[in-house]
Amino acid sequence: MTDNPIERAATATPPRLARRIKGLSDRAIAWIFVAPTIFLLLAVNIFPLIWTINLSFTNFRANRPNREVDYVGLRNYERILTDSDIWLTMQATAHFLFWTIFFQVLIGFTLAWLINRKFKGNDLWTTIIVLPMMLSPAVVGNFWTFLYQPQIGLFNYVVSFFTGVDPSSFEMIGSVNLAPWSIVIVDTWMWTPFVMLICLAGLRSIPDYIYEAAAIDRASRWRQFWTITVPMVLPFLMLAVLFRGIENFKMFDLVVQLTGGGPGSVTELTSINLKREAFEKWRTGYASAYAIILFVTVFGLASVYVKALNKVKER
Amino acid sequence: MAEVILNNVSKAFGQDTALDGVSMTIPDGAFVVLLGPTGAGKTTTLRLISGLEKPDTGDILIGGRSVVNDTPAQRDVAMVFQQYSLYPHLTVHENLAFPLKSPILRTPEDEIARKVAEVAEVLQISHKLNNKATELSGGEMQRVSIGRALVRDPSIYLMDEPLSSLDAKLRSDLRVELKRIQAGLGATLLYVTHDQIEAMTMATHVGVLDQGRLVQFGTPREIYENPVSLYVASRLGLPRINTLPVALFGDAPAGAATIGLRPEHIAQGQGRDSTVTRVEHLGDQTRLHLSLEQHDIVTLTDVHTTLRPGDTVAIAPRNPLYFDTNGTRIA
Ligand SMILES: Nc1ncnc2c1ncn2[C@@H]1O[C@H](COP(=O)(O)OP(=O)(O)OP(=O)(O)O)[C@@H](O)[C@H]1O
Ligand SMILES: [Mg+2]
Repeated sequence: MTDNPIERAATATPPRLARRIKGLSDRAIAWIFVAPTIFLLLAVNIFPLIWTINLSFTNFRANRPNREVDYVGLRNYERILTDSDIWLTMQATAHFLFWTIFFQVLIGFTLAWLINRKFKGNDLWTTIIVLPMMLSPAVVGNFWTFLYQPQIGLFNYVVSFFTGVDPSSFEMIGSVNLAPWSIVIVDTWMWTPFVMLICLAGLRSIPDYIYEAAAIDRASRWRQFWTITVPMVLPFLMLAVLFRGIENFKMFDLVVQLTGGGPGSVTELTSINLKREAFEKWRTGYASAYAIILFVTVFGLASVYVKALNKVKER
Repeated sequence: MAEVILNNVSKAFGQDTALDGVSMTIPDGAFVVLLGPTGAGKTTTLRLISGLEKPDTGDILIGGRSVVNDTPAQRDVAMVFQQYSLYPHLTVHENLAFPLKSPILRTPEDEIARKVAEVAEVLQISHKLNNKATELSGGEMQRVSIGRALVRDPSIYLMDEPLSSLDAKLRSDLRVELKRIQAGLGATLLYVTHDQIEAMTMATHVGVLDQGRLVQFGTPREIYENPVSLYVASRLGLPRINTLPVALFGDAPAGAATIGLRPEHIAQGQGRDSTVTRVEHLGDQTRLHLSLEQHDIVTLTDVHTTLRPGDTVAIAPRNPLYFDTNGTRIA
């Protein structure tokens, strides 16, 4: 007997099994270890994807499984790409994506920059700022409907306090013009801390001595910010944008709770729209084509973006 | 270029006193070397002059003007950091050009390119100009760091062990180059080193720091030949000065407790018999380890000596240094 843990494990294996395992090559053993993961991936990711592609060429309806299914070729794709309602949905999504990322980066970076200056209690501030991120999106969506209440809502009250506008004169959720902004505000409120944390990690990765060297080299604060801080935080910032972009492209829960896609369909983002097509109208084939189009879009955008990110990191 | 004066400067970090009442005048155009063991306060001195640190008490003057409340940019100093401190996201060329791109200077582009090329040539890093700063060896980083100072024309150059990680050949090349550049520009330079040859060959003045105190300031010869204390005497000289009880040789001035013998203070072939314990052939010199009444003595001998361990050599002091019990020089 020996104290070597590997050998102890080996002797603990029943002799018959051990003999059988000993007969296997390293490659075979490697396959045995990877097989469960591969199986799961195939079952949960790859197969559904292929099945969805298949369905996207049919007029299948999941609520009528017994009906005869016809292959309709590219007709689903054609109808989606020429449907003006879907383009409106896409526009709403683009508006949501662009402005949430814009504000979250702007505010998140500024907060990180402020927190990063060494002052008393900055750890406490970090914790406080990060709180919204820890709530459930459904809860956030729900209680912001109260904050947005024209009569009793805190949001309207605060806006009226600073601008003097009558708090009951506008409805964030109910108005066609304001509703798209209402979801931008809530998502920004909730996820800016996330961007801030990543920026903070970036800022903390810059050693003090670089700023000392820059001070000796007579670079002003302004120039230090643009030639040192920004380029060195940029890879982190881009990563935050990637995460937020992907998350918000599939945004569902928060907006459903908050506006339900309304009024009309001005806040009906693609994922909400897709869910309606698939599970309210039960146009499964059509929705599958829709999902594939979204998948290709996201995949294409993400790969271009990741290439850019790698280029920035290499610099 | 300017004269730099430290006036009774002290600096503490919490409980640690890094500098304790240092007064020093660095004349315009001088090449001053700071010596001292690790932790003596050499880097702190440079950081105080550069403005990265503020003195607790005392005054610092550059060109006759008090600068204690000035920013590093206003002081216009160039510094080579001990830990290089390059901009990791920039190329070597961009690192070298960075100080010249300061809006204060408004250097034209072709002038920047010319200066960078010139400095890179001197430092033998021209072939690495397009490398990123992180894609360099330690010695290359160190040279870029020197280059970033040399492209400038500051009131004083501060260099913290700038040649420490270079190989022997490059080190002696750059020693000559630095001295030539400094002399050519008439630049004021404060230079930290542990290297005896750098101190003796480059310096016009040497300052010796001991636990934050400046214990002696003078020409390299003065420091070597006329040290004020045992501590200063052991900063310079290779092999190191031998310290022995005066009683070994007798005939010492009153109050002397220790006799300090550098190799040239030891006359061989007369006086007391000592035993050879080891002979080290270093190539250009041969070191002789001797033992006299259990005291070890290291000295130099003829390169082609035939002495072997066990042989006997008679030695006697010749114009040695005498120190009292506190290590203060008395003769
Ligand atoms: N930022 C700091 N915080 C606390 N203590 C410091 C700081 N900088 C220096 N010290 C202390 O001040 C003393 C002098 O440090 P300094 O860096 O000047 O030494 P040095 O002579 O440059 O040594 P070396 O040859 O190792 O570079 C040391 O005791 C050090 O611990
Ligand atoms: Mg140091």
